[in-house]
Amino acid sequence: MIDKTGTLVSRLEQQARQVRRNIWRAIRAGGGGHVGGSSSAADILAALYFHRMRIRPTEPDWPERDRFVLSKGHANAALGAVLAQAGFIDDAVLDQFYAFESPFGMHPDIKVAGVEMCTGALGHGLSVATGMALGARIQKMAFHTFVLIGDGELHEGSNWEAAMAAAHYKLANLTAIIDHNKICQSGRVNEVISVDPLADKWRAFGWEVREIDGHNMSDVVETLDALPLNSERPTAIIAHTVKGKGVSFAENTYLWHSNSVNDEIYAKALAELGLP
Amino acid sequence: MNAPENALAEWRAKSANQTRLAFGQALLEIGAREPRAVVVSADTQDLLGIRPYIERFPERFLEMGIAEQNAIGVASGLATTGLHPYVCAYAPFITARSMEQVRNDVAYANQRVVIGAAASGISLGVAGGTHHALEDLALMRSLPNMTIIVPADVNEAYQATLATLDIDGPVYLRLGGRVEEPPVGDPEAPFRLGKAAQLRPGNDVAVIACGALVDMALRASDLLKKEGIGVRVLNMHTIKPLDRDAILAAAAETCGIVTAEEHHLCGGLGGAVAELLAVERPTRMRMVGMPDTFAMVGPTVPLRAKYGMSAEAVVDACRALLAQRR
Repeated sequence: MIDKTGTLVSRLEQQARQVRRNIWRAIRAGGGGHVGGSSSAADILAALYFHRMRIRPTEPDWPERDRFVLSKGHANAALGAVLAQAGFIDDAVLDQFYAFESPFGMHPDIKVAGVEMCTGALGHGLSVATGMALGARIQKMAFHTFVLIGDGELHEGSNWEAAMAAAHYKLANLTAIIDHNKICQSGRVNEVISVDPLADKWRAFGWEVREIDGHNMSDVVETLDALPLNSERPTAIIAHTVKGKGVSFAENTYLWHSNSVNDEIYAKALAELGLP
Repeated sequence: MNAPENALAEWRAKSANQTRLAFGQALLEIGAREPRAVVVSADTQDLLGIRPYIERFPERFLEMGIAEQNAIGVASGLATTGLHPYVCAYAPFITARSMEQVRNDVAYANQRVVIGAAASGISLGVAGGTHHALEDLALMRSLPNMTIIVPADVNEAYQATLATLDIDGPVYLRLGGRVEEPPVGDPEAPFRLGKAAQLRPGNDVAVIACGALVDMALRASDLLKKEGIGVRVLNMHTIKPLDRDAILAAAAETCGIVTAEEHHLCGGLGGAVAELLAVERPTRMRMVGMPDTFAMVGPTVPLRAKYGMSAEAVVDACRALLAQRR
């Protein structure tokens, strides 16, 4: 539970700030990348990896570990950041984003410690996570499966096949978090193809839905700690977020879905993010 | 072996000669032998004859409905938790429709997922082009890590399914539809993954066939034998990894190679053999298979003949090679 003094929340906020610094660091090392969707997910990932998930960074294949699938695989800079900060991978890997033979590319590679699936082609993660949750049930294992999905990603129809199946099997051990930053590659999601009414869609598919501010760490922690929200249904957390969160010029614009980052821009971003 | 021998013999005796049903029957034995096995269906419980499995292992059965993309993603997720999923599906849909899931979630992630793909080729002839799978081998062959098996008869389908117990990676098992697939070989002969079975000796010309075309190759060989022509017949049940040694030996010891398959001439067994020989030992070839067109509607057997997939077509291909013999 959240302590009244807010120690946990302030620690997680600090770690999320470090995640954002590492996102920019990796993307600068690569010369550019998906700043927007990585930064919008930073608080959620920090809460999962540094608080909610039962994981063993020194034993990444521990069978009882909670699973996390980054369905929006283009946010791999954020995943790399939490994996490094948690100790799954060496911190120096963050400086090898896109490098020749690097384990750390634009999208997650299952061969990397802590990475559960090679994602990035959109609309795959929810099916895979559904399989993991079913695998837990069949083998009577207690782990929980989390999957982070982009809002634009919900255009992919396969998500809704999986949503139907997960509800059919009453997978209370499965939580989908929608990073609802409202922007995809070409502009605003709802101008490209509307996903609204989003909460109603998930409810209609049989999911327990909660909407939160995905940058309010108390909100995020409280919701993750309350899982499962319903013992008969999978949970969909619609996290309202800001694309590019944390750096003013990158916030809330499709231009920073993916963009180049040079030393000058990097210095400006770090100055805004503040000290680790 | 836990499955009662007499039960299997009894099933064989009364069952139609259809490889899709042999797969379902083999799953019963796999369920008994491998506690990690789990069967995933895409609304194909009767197509692959898995109701006996479901009755016996209900806790290790998952129906995913008419949603092939999700079925493959789920199977991949199951495999990551240590289970051994067997996906039951229609060949045309589980390959072409779910290609990205098969490529990324299964082949690229290198997960232990077996796909039992029924109704391949033009086995659903009357269903029309939407339901034919004449490009599935080309799609699956292009994926690294994938093992591809095309059983020619019920016995081989059963044994090949059991062989997946020892394959630690993705497998595509190509099965037939509601059409008779007569026995082609000795039912007691062991199935050896990646090793072609020589069903007829001969050093004049060689026919390398898979699936339904193996029976036609045998008939062609028997016809030409009456003329004193020795036609070697190789049942190339494993398309990937390919039995290079058997192909190179056939190329070295005969005047040429005929390939025969129920698949487009592009990208299937013929393509695989040609790719090998072009590099290692350029050899005269003829390819029997589906030309570059969509098939019309019709019962499977006359449809095969119309598009040049017949014993007669194999004979003609052999004669063409013999005529060019230097």
